[in-house]
Amino acid sequence: MSSATTTAEAYRTQLRMNRMGLWLFFVSEVFLFGGLLATRFYLWGNTRPELDQSIGLIVTSVLLLSSLSMNLSEKGLEHNNRRLFLGGLVFTFVFGLVFLVGVMVFEWGLFPAFYEGHLTPGENVYGAVVFAMTGMHALHVITGLAFIAIVWNLGRKGSYSPERHWGVESCAIYWHFVDVVWIFFYPALYLIGHVAH
Amino acid sequence: MSLMSLGIVRGFVWQIAGTIIGIVFAVAMRLMMGMSPWATEPVWVVAILFGSMGFLIGVGSMTDWFKWMVGIDTPMRHGPPKGKPAWTRYFGVDYNHKVIGIQYTITAIFMLAVGGAFAIIFRTELARSGLQFLNPGQYNTFIGMHGWAAIFAIFIGIGGMANYLVPLMIGAEDMAFPRLNAFAFWINIPAIVWLLASLYHGWDAGWTLYPLLSTRGEPGFQFVFLSVFLLGFSSILGSLNLIATMLMMRPKGMSLFRMPIFCWGVMGASIIQLTATQFIAQSFLMLSFERTLGMPFFNPDGGGSPLLFQHLFWFYSHPAVYVWVLPGLGVISEILPVFARKPLFGYRWIALSSIAIALVGFLVWGHHMFTSGYANSLRAPFMLATLLVAVPTGVKFFSWLGTLWGGKLTFPTPMLFALGAISVFLLGGLSGPPLALVGSDLFLHDSYFVIGHFHATIFGGFVFPFLAALYFWYPKVTGRMYNETLGKLHFWIMTPAFWMMSVGQMSVGVMGMRRRIADYDPMLGGMTSSGLSAVEIGQTVVTISAFLIAFSILLMIYNLLNSAEVGALAGNNPWRSRSPEWQIPSPAPEHSYATPIRVVGEPYDYGLPGSTYVTMATAGDD
Amino acid sequence: MRQSSTDKRHFITVSVLVLIGTAVMFWLLDSALPMPIQASIQAQTVDQVFQWTLIAIAFLFSLVVVFMLYTVIVFRRRRGDTGEGEHFEGNTALEIIWTVVPLLLVVLFGYIGVTTLTDITKAQENEVVVQVEGFQWSWLFTYPTDSGEFTSTELVLPVDQPARMEMSSRDVNHSFWIVEMRVKQDVLPGQTTVLRFTPTIEGDYKLRCAELCGLSHWNMLASVRIVSPEEYDAWLAQQSSQAAAITTASN
Repeated sequence: MSSATTTAEAYRTQLRMNRMGLWLFFVSEVFLFGGLLATRFYLWGNTRPELDQSIGLIVTSVLLLSSLSMNLSEKGLEHNNRRLFLGGLVFTFVFGLVFLVGVMVFEWGLFPAFYEGHLTPGENVYGAVVFAMTGMHALHVITGLAFIAIVWNLGRKGSYSPERHWGVESCAIYWHFVDVVWIFFYPALYLIGHVAH
Repeated sequence: MSLMSLGIVRGFVWQIAGTIIGIVFAVAMRLMMGMSPWATEPVWVVAILFGSMGFLIGVGSMTDWFKWMVGIDTPMRHGPPKGKPAWTRYFGVDYNHKVIGIQYTITAIFMLAVGGAFAIIFRTELARSGLQFLNPGQYNTFIGMHGWAAIFAIFIGIGGMANYLVPLMIGAEDMAFPRLNAFAFWINIPAIVWLLASLYHGWDAGWTLYPLLSTRGEPGFQFVFLSVFLLGFSSILGSLNLIATMLMMRPKGMSLFRMPIFCWGVMGASIIQLTATQFIAQSFLMLSFERTLGMPFFNPDGGGSPLLFQHLFWFYSHPAVYVWVLPGLGVISEILPVFARKPLFGYRWIALSSIAIALVGFLVWGHHMFTSGYANSLRAPFMLATLLVAVPTGVKFFSWLGTLWGGKLTFPTPMLFALGAISVFLLGGLSGPPLALVGSDLFLHDSYFVIGHFHATIFGGFVFPFLAALYFWYPKVTGRMYNETLGKLHFWIMTPAFWMMSVGQMSVGVMGMRRRIADYDPMLGGMTSSGLSAVEIGQTVVTISAFLIAFSILLMIYNLLNSAEVGALAGNNPWRSRSPEWQIPSPAPEHSYATPIRVVGEPYDYGLPGSTYVTMATAGDD
Repeated sequence: MRQSSTDKRHFITVSVLVLIGTAVMFWLLDSALPMPIQASIQAQTVDQVFQWTLIAIAFLFSLVVVFMLYTVIVFRRRRGDTGEGEHFEGNTALEIIWTVVPLLLVVLFGYIGVTTLTDITKAQENEVVVQVEGFQWSWLFTYPTDSGEFTSTELVLPVDQPARMEMSSRDVNHSFWIVEMRVKQDVLPGQTTVLRFTPTIEGDYKLRCAELCGLSHWNMLASVRIVSPEEYDAWLAQQSSQAAAITTASN
């Protein structure tokens, strides 16, 4: 038995374990976001606040696009196309950033000099829940962006190969997960129920 | 050797530094935003977050991850740190699950003592009616501190048992993610610091922290919210690790139904911890945000609902009770066959009942809220679901009796505590139905009857089994035997005392004694001929019992510390157990299993001639 | 010679002991848990439920404990014996029995629970309605009368007439509990909760807050008087005329 096959075997075992760990983490996260959704339905019922529909649609589309570029990036690495791999990561990062800025500037009104937000967290239960849901999601987007930046930097230096790229794989799955969460949050915030006054 | 080379000391220094940086940062931010520089609560929230981060970096629990981020490989470290005494590894980041298990267990015993000390203080106050030496503010803070300190002790104690035992029992080299394992342990330390720090400002809403009481009043609340948040983080990461370990790292031949039964208890508990914990983390974050940013989740003035908090809180906190008891019940199932020299009766039934309890546990949170004011129509389903928990729990009791029946029983201390645990848990379980039935619950809710029920459940489900586990695996951990006479003395003081305490609590509860009151009406239950009122007699009995329990625990701590030095050498397998951890030397070596183990039989076939559970594979056996 | 563990004599002995144990246990529980007087119709129902559960507790407790103590005594290792216990791994029939029988018990108690719940909470004709307000750390009762309404710091109710408390809180959660009436209901801000009970015995009682509500929670009390209908009417008349007098004076 050569040491090369032993390490390849060890890597496969570790990979299986890592995947299990990541998916268990998602199971846990589902309850976090589920709890936020439950809060939304408990407090708002069949109503929703007046939010800017076009902003919602734009940031959602951008986030979906970012999942596409992330997928291309991962495929690129698997086919040893490092240009596509790194380029895909850059695009994903930019899309993610656009999403984040869209939420922060236009939904939160973080820079009132530039754009006046129409909700504040403390004003009533609508503001509170919007900020809680988008805030918790934004925290995950920020983590994802940091993750992408790290993976990009390591990839640039030549880490990862078509055979061994758990770092890229986990980053991609995490990013898709954050996307999927938004797919549930978007209708809960923007579409379901009638506008309350 | 300098003090700073101890991870924990570095951690505390960094925690203080982080806290100061956090304060400066928060004040600077406030000035930049044109606010007055100081506001106790928001500044402390930032400081707590920075300080906790500081500890985790300072202690070194994230060092490897930082290296990964810049592409440096970090090979696994084994053995004690180089150039330092061996004991120092227990005071710093170490990746060996046995070290982490011991770190957890010692921390748990420390927190148990802290929680017990608070109980002793206010129990003394309650022995007589009238306010003796506590004022109501202190009293209200202390009951909450007792609650959370004890809960910390329980979670950390379970972490200790699970971390030490699960990899050993399934013959794994270590946990699936050793670095994450160490990280999950070390989060608890800043959490404990913040919990104790909350005493400075005080907080008076009890451990359940219901708003709107917890969204007004002292800044001490923030410390508790964030402290519990960190504890929850530890819970989630620890349980994730345990589930992955049990699913992925079992040896050849060990199907799920051939795992030692303790693993099933841990599995049930971990499923709950992994998922439901998010709810308490979320609800406490919401409380924190409601206080700092005024987000009105729970305040009806802003459209919120105080009931929402109770739903979120109990959706976690009820299943959490099963987190506390399932591993303990696993310990009982583990110990009985060894000392009865008989197979565990109905292994599959016991294993599956753990999972059944865990799952039904998700549907019963409403029984904590029968008087809360939610729709009457919801009371009946919650009542039925709650009663249903009795069925899988009953399966466990009857299967234990089946295990004992026809055995050849011996009674060293671990066996005594296992049997004591059964009797106490039975008392706790059976005092449940009057609380599960809405009619009698409307009477008993928030009375001392609940206190009696709850403590019996937790002592029977966690404390007694935890003590049994301490005595049972002590020879494996230290290589030496504890003092049997002192161990038995501990049992014979603690068990009757606990009985008196629990029944005493139920008794004064029925008389009308409310929970969480600093002073009570001495005339509850009427006068007796002795010149003391009935309720005062009950309270005095409870207080004396509490002191007896505390004394017996001190006796155990002395026994365990002393025996580590002077105890007789225990040998590999003093209990003649079949479980894999007993087939290796005591104390367990750095690499537990020199060669991979293989499972060739059932775990509990005591009395079946010629059967074995595990064999140690020899080289070339594959 | 040791008996086999499946010998009938074991089970006969244990069954007898369990029955004795049940009786002893019930007596012990009954004396360790002294109920306050029953001062409402609901209290009778509640105590009935509690008694039924006590019987179940006494039986199940002695079932497990007697079995356990019996094994501890009869199946203990004799001196010099180094053998193993009898080898049996389980019994599916038994497992099914002790799953199904408790399930039936659960259904029975569920039925008891639901019927008594409806019994306690059902609306009645001719209810005396009192608005209860809880706040840190007192109670205030508002009585509607023909000539407007008046408030009182003590709760006065006529005996043998159903009473309905419509409760809300000014600040934090409280809970309305008169131990002699048994039933209890939380009092919340921003929401009205309802509690019904029918007092049956005239006398003085104490209303106590049962939900931790801050510093003086332990002392959040109000006196309760259950009086004859005549006395109640007299009290109502006196209070409302006083209230009217105050209103006129302030005008």
